Parts: sequence; C-alpha cells; structure tokens
Amino acid sequence: MLKPGDAAPPFDLPCAVEDRIDRISLAKIRSEMVVLFFYPRDFSFVCPTEVTGFNQLRQEFAEENATLLGASVDTAESHRRWARELGGIGYPLLADAGGGVARAYGVYDEKEGVAMRATFVLDSDRKVAYALASPINVGRSVAETLRVVRAIRTGQLCPAEWKPGMKFGPPDRQL
Amino acid sequence: MPLPREPSEKRRLFDRLASVREVVFGMQDGVLTTAGVLAGLSGAVSNHSQVILAAIAATAAGALSMGVGAYLGTSAETEVLRSELERTRREAAERPYIMQEALLRQLEREGLAREASYRVVELLSSSPELLIATTEEKVFGLGGALLGNALLDGIVMGVAFIAGALIPLLPYIVITTPRIALGTALCATALALFGVGYFEGWLAHREQRWRSGARFLLIALGAAAVGYVIGLAISPLGGAAG
Repeated sequence: MLKPGDAAPPFDLPCAVEDRIDRISLAKIRSEMVVLFFYPRDFSFVCPTEVTGFNQLRQEFAEENATLLGASVDTAESHRRWARELGGIGYPLLADAGGGVARAYGVYDEKEGVAMRATFVLDSDRKVAYALASPINVGRSVAETLRVVRAIRTGQLCPAEWKPGMKFGPPDRQL
Repeated sequence: MPLPREPSEKRRLFDRLASVREVVFGMQDGVLTTAGVLAGLSGAVSNHSQVILAAIAATAAGALSMGVGAYLGTSAETEVLRSELERTRREAAERPYIMQEALLRQLEREGLAREASYRVVELLSSSPELLIATTEEKVFGLGGALLGNALLDGIVMGVAFIAGALIPLLPYIVITTPRIALGTALCATALALFGVGYFEGWLAHREQRWRSGARFLLIALGAAAVGYVIGLAISPLGGAAG
C-alpha cells in the first residue's frame, strides 16, 4: 500500500457521475487535493453508508478544493445503476474493472478479487498526503477524512483531534 | 410416462425418505445379528426352543439398543444443530448486514449476477425470518430439514430391527428340524439382504435394481465373513485362557 510521500500512480478510467457515463484522468484534475477512496463492490449491504456519506459531504470537500473520487472493480454501468439505487451520487465512481489501479495503489485483495477499503488524500503535487486502510467489515468515517483534508491544507502542525479554529503546534508545556 | 410430482408432494416424499437410513440400518442389523445368533446357538445348544428363546431375547435387546442409540444420536445431533441455528439467528438480529452480505456472495458464487443477487437479498430482507432461513440453507448448509425427529428415528430403527430379525427367526419357529431350519433361515437372510438393497435401488430410481440388491448382499455377507474369520482367528486365545 502506498504511504505518505509516494507519488500517486496515474489513472484514466471510465466512471459514472450524475447518472451518466464519463471518463476521468488523474492528470486532468485541477483541484488542489484529490480524495480517492476504494470500496469493495457495488450492490453491497455494507458499502453504501460510505458512498452516500461522502456524497452528503461533497460540498464541504469542494469548499476545501478537493475532488472526491470513489473506485471499485465494478463497471461504469454498474456504478450508474448502483448510484441510482442510492438516490444519486454527485461525484465520480471510477470503474477499475480488473483492479489495475487498486493494485497500483497496493490495495487490491487478490483472494477476494476486490479493492480493500482504503482512502488516499493526494496533494497538489499528486503525492500521497494521507493513506488509510480499514478492515472489510468496518466502514470509514467520512467526517474524519474531511478533517484530515482540512488539516493538511493548513500546512501547519495539527495536534490530535485538531479541528478548524483550534490552535496549531504542539500543546503548551510548563517548563 | 408418470406425471411429474407436485412440489408439495415431493416435499412429503423427502420427509418420508428421511427415515430410509434407519430402516436400512435397522433391518440389515436385525437380519444379520439374529442369523448370527441362530447359527451360533444351533451348534452349541441342542434344545430347539432354547435357541428360539435366546434369539428372541437377543432380538429384544438388539431392537432396544438400536432404537435407543438412534434416539440419542438424533437428539444429540439435533441439539447441536439447533443451538448453532439459534446463535446464527441472534447474530442476524444484531448485525443483519453480515447475513445479507454472506447470502449475496453465495448467490453470486452460484452464478447469479451481482445486481440480481442484491435484488434477491433485498427482497428476502423484507421478511427477516425468510432471510435467515435462506441464509442458513444456502450459506451454512443448515436447514430445518436437518433437524431430525429423535423419537421417530428411535421407533423406526427399533421396529426395522425387529422386522429384520423376524426373517431368520420365523423359519426356526415354524420348522422343527434344526438343520433345515438353519438352512432356511440363512437363505431367508440372504434374500432379505438382497431385498433391502433392491428396495434402496427402487427408492433411488436406479435402472438395475438387482445390482443394488447384489451389492448390499455382498457387503453384508462380506462383513459377516470377516467377522467369522476374526472369530476363528481369536478362538485359540479363548481356549488358551480357559
């Protein structure tokens, strides 16, 4: 799995976005940050909370100049139908059929033939700024991903549980 | 050409066939054990009625032992299965998505497309009981049908044993000449063993049922012959000890 500081492997994949099929290339994304999250499969009873969770906060991510991308090994058509099923998803779901991109990011589960639950935040140089993998049965916190994006964008030393408005730097110590 | 069976009729047939194991096992054991007792006692005891009484006692003990054994065996199996099913149900109530996901993957593995599997599971999820029952059968291979009736199994096994025992025993009761009675009993035993195999072949709709009969007869007689040879082999030990 890629770690902070690694260059993000490029990709150019079909995707489903707002009920249409399109294509998206990492090289053509102009936003400052990119949040790329992998999930195992469409039409699942575990994943929808994450996919819809990111959708609910997509405006907040946009305000942080971050492009949201979801990816799984399903086809773009499957993504389109799955997004409809979930009531519409306003960010692209990448069709990583075959799992080539998941492999490049080191998050492909060869045994199951699906991507792991993994999240990457890419910086403006398209290097990995943050990487996280969750067990297959544990959903991620979308709010935590947003907090991390905000923290990275400050360029400051953010202590644990930092939130916008809080002090930067290490906690004060009495000498 | 026979008409295809109605599904409900087929279900009743499957329920009845669940006792085939007990019938075959009980009859086979009843026939062979009693024939063995009669053959053994005929050589050792000269009084014909004593042989018959001993064989009847052995039949009663054997039927009880087999019936109780079947009852206890099925009880234990049912108890373990039932507790496993209850545990699965508790898990399903707490985390239904685990069960939904497991069933979805199983349906996909069996050839249904991902989306179709999802729709099926979603539909089944509208009835939690149905979702649980389907998951138990498809994913865990545990079905309500596996929960046997211990009392019925015990009774069927005991009755089958007695029915099997009567086959070699009746010639002994009817025929008073020991040698002829033994010969008739052994012939009846062989015929009965063949008959049980033939019956099993008939139930399984096999083309060559006589093969099933011959196979059953050979296996049973083979086991009896091995037992006889072992008895012969260890008999000097008994003599030495005495």
